[in-house]
Amino acid sequence: MKKAFLFITLLLISVWMFAQSAEKLMNCHFNNVSFEKFCNEVFQETGVRVFYQEKWVKNLKINLNANNITAKKAVSIAIENTGLKVSEWNNNLVILPDTRLITSLPPYHPETANEGSIPENTQKMTATEERYLIGRKPDVIHTIKVGYEGGPLTNGKASILGRVMDEETGEPVNFATCYVEETKTGSISGKNGFFTLVLKPGNYTVTINYMGYQARKYMLDILSGGKFIVTLRKTVYQIQEFVVHGDRQMNVTQKDPGIDKISMRSIKQLPMMMGERDILKVSGTLPGIVSTGEGSSGLNVRGGGSDQNAFYINKVPIFNTSHLFGFFPAFNSDIIKDFSVYKGYIPAMYGGRLSSVFNIMTRQGNMKRFTAHGGVSPVAANLEIEGPIKKDVLSFIFSGRSTYSDWILRRVKDPTISSSSANFYDYTGELSYNAQKTQMSLFFYHSYDHFRLSTLDDYNYSNNGASLDISHNLTNSLRADFSLIASQYGFTTIDQEQLPSAYKQAYKMGHYEVRADFTKTISNYNTLNFGGDAVLRQLDRGNVIPYGTESLLIPVALGKEQGFSGSLYLSDTYNPSPVLSITAGLRYTLYSPLGPSTVYNYVPGMPVDSRYVSDSVTYGNNVPIHWYSEPDVRAAVKYQTDENGSVKLAFNQMHQNLFMLNNTIAISPNVQWKLADSHITPSKSNQISLGVYRTLPKSGMEASVEIYYKEESGYPEFKDGASFLDSPHVETEVLQGKEKGYGVEFLLKRSNKRLAGWLSYTYSRSFMMVNGGQTWNSINNGETYPSNYDIPNVVNLVMDYHLSRRVTFSTIMTYQTGKPITYPVSVYYIDGTPYLDYSKRNAYRIPDYFRTDVSMSIEGNLKRHKLVHSSFVLSVYNLTGRKNPYSVYFNTSDGGITGYSYSVIGVPIFTVTWNFKLGNYASE
Amino acid sequence: MLAFSSCVKIYSPKIEGADLNKYVVSGQITLGEDTQTVNVSLTSSINKPTYIPLLGCTVHILDNKDNTFPLVDMGNGDYSTMIDPKYMVPGKAFKVVVIVPDGDSIVSDYDTLSVVPPVDSIYYLRKDIVSPVPYQSKVGIQFYLDFKGANSDSRYYKWNVYETWEYHAEYPLEYYYDGTVHHIFPPDYSKFTCWDTRKIPEVFTLSTENLSQNVYNNIPLQYVDNKTPKLANGYSMLVEQLALSKEAYDYWDQLRINSTQQGGLYEKQPIVIKGNLRDITHPDKEVLGFFGAASASFKRIFISQVPGLTLNYVIPCTTIVLKRGYIMIPPSAYPAALMASQNGPLPIWLSQICVNCLLQGGTNVKPSFWPN
Repeated sequence: MKKAFLFITLLLISVWMFAQSAEKLMNCHFNNVSFEKFCNEVFQETGVRVFYQEKWVKNLKINLNANNITAKKAVSIAIENTGLKVSEWNNNLVILPDTRLITSLPPYHPETANEGSIPENTQKMTATEERYLIGRKPDVIHTIKVGYEGGPLTNGKASILGRVMDEETGEPVNFATCYVEETKTGSISGKNGFFTLVLKPGNYTVTINYMGYQARKYMLDILSGGKFIVTLRKTVYQIQEFVVHGDRQMNVTQKDPGIDKISMRSIKQLPMMMGERDILKVSGTLPGIVSTGEGSSGLNVRGGGSDQNAFYINKVPIFNTSHLFGFFPAFNSDIIKDFSVYKGYIPAMYGGRLSSVFNIMTRQGNMKRFTAHGGVSPVAANLEIEGPIKKDVLSFIFSGRSTYSDWILRRVKDPTISSSSANFYDYTGELSYNAQKTQMSLFFYHSYDHFRLSTLDDYNYSNNGASLDISHNLTNSLRADFSLIASQYGFTTIDQEQLPSAYKQAYKMGHYEVRADFTKTISNYNTLNFGGDAVLRQLDRGNVIPYGTESLLIPVALGKEQGFSGSLYLSDTYNPSPVLSITAGLRYTLYSPLGPSTVYNYVPGMPVDSRYVSDSVTYGNNVPIHWYSEPDVRAAVKYQTDENGSVKLAFNQMHQNLFMLNNTIAISPNVQWKLADSHITPSKSNQISLGVYRTLPKSGMEASVEIYYKEESGYPEFKDGASFLDSPHVETEVLQGKEKGYGVEFLLKRSNKRLAGWLSYTYSRSFMMVNGGQTWNSINNGETYPSNYDIPNVVNLVMDYHLSRRVTFSTIMTYQTGKPITYPVSVYYIDGTPYLDYSKRNAYRIPDYFRTDVSMSIEGNLKRHKLVHSSFVLSVYNLTGRKNPYSVYFNTSDGGITGYSYSVIGVPIFTVTWNFKLGNYASE
Repeated sequence: MLAFSSCVKIYSPKIEGADLNKYVVSGQITLGEDTQTVNVSLTSSINKPTYIPLLGCTVHILDNKDNTFPLVDMGNGDYSTMIDPKYMVPGKAFKVVVIVPDGDSIVSDYDTLSVVPPVDSIYYLRKDIVSPVPYQSKVGIQFYLDFKGANSDSRYYKWNVYETWEYHAEYPLEYYYDGTVHHIFPPDYSKFTCWDTRKIPEVFTLSTENLSQNVYNNIPLQYVDNKTPKLANGYSMLVEQLALSKEAYDYWDQLRINSTQQGGLYEKQPIVIKGNLRDITHPDKEVLGFFGAASASFKRIFISQVPGLTLNYVIPCTTIVLKRGYIMIPPSAYPAALMASQNGPLPIWLSQICVNCLLQGGTNVKPSFWPN
C-alpha cells in the first residue's frame, strides 16, 4: 500500500498544473479500446488526468457509449466490477484498488495562532549561496505525455498545441517563449496563450518563460499530435523586468528590430506626474521614442509626427490617448497586461501609420477568484474588480477611474483658472470565455474629458470603443482569430473668447472594422501568418455655428467624409538553420474616399485656393472617389552570431490615409482628423534598420545598438496661419512634403538585480522638405529644414534600487537637445514700431531639456493573512525644479522687443499615491 | 494646474544676427489724410535693433489711371507728397515704385481703395487683471471700440490709436541758484504743464468676412493701468479707422499675430509674412513691408477722470538736502532749482526734472483739441 502511494505521489507531482475540472462533461464512444487509450481520450476531452498502475488494468477493454457524462462517471463505469475505486484529487482522478483517497486532512489547530509571514526573500542570497544551493538541488523535471501510440502524425511529425496559463488567475499568458533544447527551435505563445510545436515523436526538454514569471522546464514525451497545458507562476518578488529587448530567450524567435515591451508591474514604482502611471510617458524613455513634452500626449517615434503612431487597446484604435491636455494617460495602467511598441519591423497584420504601432492588451478577469485593486492619487482614483462568473470558463473584469482635480484649480489665485473646471473619467470592461478550442472576449472602452476655462472655452471629448474577438483552433497547427471592432472619437468645442465671433463645433469620427487573422505552423522552422481586414471610417467634421446671442458668425459646414480600406496580408517566417531566421511579408491595401462629396478642381499652376476653383464634381453616397493602391513590403532577417548575440536587419514599408489637422507642436484637445482624399494623397514611408543585440551574462546586462534610415513622402504640413474651421476644403491649407530621418540608438539594460534599470542614448535627425516649385506651395523657399521633432541627442536613465523587500527607490532622468525653433534674426521699423524678421524655419534651438524625477515606494507589511494589502508611492516630479523651456517666443506689441521662455512645469511636484489590493503582498 | 506650475520668464537667447540688410518699404495712400508718406529703411540685426533710414531714394506713387505722383525726400527715410483728393476715389488702385541709391527698383502690387464708415463708438471699462504673480496684477481701464459698417463698406479694418495725456512737473520754478539765489515771481509755470502723445504700438485688426453683418462690438484696444500719470490730468485718444483691402488686412493681421506671440502649449510656427513688394532688379532679394491704399475716418474722445480708480504713480523728481548750504551745488549744475516755501527758498536742491516737464518727453504747447 505504501508503495502504491509513493508511486502515485511521484506521478502526481505534475498534477497541479492542470486546471480542468473533473466535473467537466464529455461524450464517450469507445469500442474495445485499451484502458490506456481510454484515459488518453478522457484527458484530450476534459483535461482530466487519470492515475493508475498499469498492472491493475492490463487486460481491461473499454466499451462505453454515453453523452454528457463527467470524466469521473466515465472512469467509474469503465472500471466497474474490477475491484478498483476512483477518487478525485486536485481535479484529476486517481484509481486505487479497493480504497478511496482521503482528499482532505483532519482539521488542524495550531497552538500559536499567530499570523505567519511570507518566507524571506531568496533574492537576498548571495550569488555563491545561490550557486551552492542550486548545485545541490536535484533538478526536478516533470514529464508531460502528449498524444498516444498510433495517434495522428503528418509526415512523421506531430503537431502539438500548447497553452500557457497563469497559475493563479487562470489567465492565458501571451508572448511566453517555449524553447526546445534538442532542436534549438522555439515558439511564442500568441493571444490566448496558445503556441504550436511541430516535432518528431520522442523526448524533448522544453523551457517556458515569460518576463515576470518563473521559467519552467518540462520533458515532453511526444507520441503523436496532441495538446497540453502548462502554467507559470508569477515571480513572487516584484523583479524589475522593464523591457525585454534583445532578451536572449525572446530572441529565439523574435525577429523584430525595434520591438519594445514594458512590464506593467515594473512601472508601478516609477515616479510619475501627479502619481498617475503613464505607460506612454515611460515608453518615451526608450531609445527612438521622444515625448513631445509636458502637457502633450504626443510621442515622436524616430523623428515622425505624433499622428504617425497607431494606438490599439485590444485591437480598438484610440484617437486621443490622453486626459486633461496630455497630463494623464487615457488608459488605466492597472488593467494593462501587455504593452508592445513596434518601430522598426512592423508585422504585416498592422498598417495605416507611418512610424509605429503601440499595442496594448488588457488583462482578462481572474478565472479563479474574485479580487479587487485600486489606487488614490491627488487628482484621481481608480478601482478594478474582477472574478469568475463560471470558474475557469467565464470571467469578467471592470475598471473605472475618475478625477476630482477641481480642488487644485480652486486654489489658484487667477480668477480665470479658479472658476474653471476639469473632469475626466474612463472605464473598461471585458468578458472572457475560455473553452478548449474556442476563446471569446467582449471588450468595451469609454473615456470622457470635459474642460471649461471660466466662461471663455468649453471642451469635451470622448473615445468609445468595443471589440468582439473569437479565437478558434481549427487544427493543432492552424489558429484563427476573428474580430469585430468599432471605435468612435468625438469632441465639442465652445469658444467664447470673442463674443461677436463665438462658435460651437462638434466633431465625430467612427472606425468600423472586420478582421480575420490566421497563424499556420507548417513546421518548427516555418510559420505562416495571413489574414485581412476591411475598415470603414466615417468622419463628421461638424458645423461651426454661432454661439450665444451676440455672435454674428456665419455658420460653416465643414462637411462629412468617409473612406473604405481593404487589406490582405501574408507573411512567412522561415528558419533555415537554428541561427538564421527570415520573415518576409506583403500587405496590400486598397483605399478610397467615398461619397457623398463635392470635390473642387483647381486651375492648374495656380495656388490651391477658393479663388482658383475651375469646376466641381459631385459624388453620390458610397461612390468611390479615387482608389489608391498601397502595397507594403516588410522583411526581416535575424542571424544569431553566438549564444549571446544576434544581428537583425529589417525593411519596413507603410502607408497612411488618416491625418491629424494640427499646426501646433502639442496635440490640442480638439484636434480634427482628416482622411486622404483626391487632393491630399496618402503618405508613404520606407525604413531600413539594422540592430545588434548582446547579453553580457556575467554582469547581467543586455546591450543593443540599432541604426535606421527612413524616408517619407506625402506627409502633410500646414500653411502658415492655417485654420481648419473656415472651410470644408482642407486641401487649401495643406502642403505635402518629404521627410527624411536617420539615427542610431543605444540601450544598456540590467535586470533582476538589486540595482536595475536601463540607460538609453539616441542620436537621430529628422528633416522636412516641402517644395512644390512655387512660393505658394513651398515652405522655407523649398529648402530642407529640421522637422519640429528633430531632437538629435536624447539620454534617459531609469533606475530602481531595491533597498529591501518593502522599500524601493526609483528615478528617471531625461536629457534632450532643445527643440528646433524659428528665431527672429533682424528687426525693422514701421511707424516707429519694431517688427521681427524671422530666420529660416527651425534654424535655431530652444535650451536643452533636463529633468529628474524620484520616487520611493513602500509596501505594506508582509503578513500572510490579511484582507487588504496596500502600498504608498511618494514621488517628486522635476526634483530640481528646473524651468525647462517648452517654447521661446518674442513679443513686440508694447513697442519693445522682449523674448520670453515658457515652461509648463517649472516647479517640483510632490505626490503621494495610495494603492490597495485584496489579499497579501504576493497576491495578484 | 497649468497656471499652478507653469512659468514664463524673460529670456534672451543668443541669436546670430543676419549679416545682410533687407529693404523695408512701408506706406500707404490714405483717403482722409493730407500728407501721403512712404518710408524706406533697412533691417537691423536683432542684437542691435536700430532704425536705419534709407536716404536718397526716388519714390513715385502710381495709380491705375496712369497718374504718377512723385514724392519728396523729407529725410529720415520718409518720402512725402500731397495728392489731390479728387484722385483718391474708392475703387481706384495705387502702387509705389522705389529706386534705391544702389539702383535696385522696388515695386509694389496695386492695392485698391475701399470705403470706410465713421468710427462708431469708443469707451472704456474698469478692468483689474489678477495674476498669481504679484507684479503682473494690474488695476486700470480697458478701452474698447464698437464697429458698425454698411454692407457696401470694406470688410477689413485696421486701427491706429494715438493717446495724448496732460502731465505736470512736481513744482513750478520759483527759486534757482547759479552762484546767487534768484527769485521768480510769480512762479514760472511754463514748464509745469505738458502734453505727451504716443502712437499705441499694438496692431488692431478686424475682418468681418465670416460674419453675417458688417458689425463687431467690444473690440479691445489698449489697456491703461494706474501706475502711469496718464489718467491723472486728462487723457485723450484718437482712433484712426482704416478700411483696407483683403491683401493689406492679411499682411497686418499676420504682423499682429507674429508680434503678440503668447507662447504656451499650442504654439505655432511664426508666420513667414509676405508683403506686396518685389525687387525687380534682383528678384531673389526679399523686400519687407507693404504699400497699401486705405480710407480713414477718425474719432477722438476725452477722459478727465476715471471714477473710483486710485492712481498710484511715481513722479520722477529727486531732491537733495543741502546740509552745508548752496555751496554744495557744483557750478556745472547751474542754474539749480531750489524748493520754495512761504518764507523763501529752502536748502533743498531739486533736480531739473522736478521743475521741467519737457524733460519727460512731452511738449508744453497745448494741443488744439485739448479742452480748456
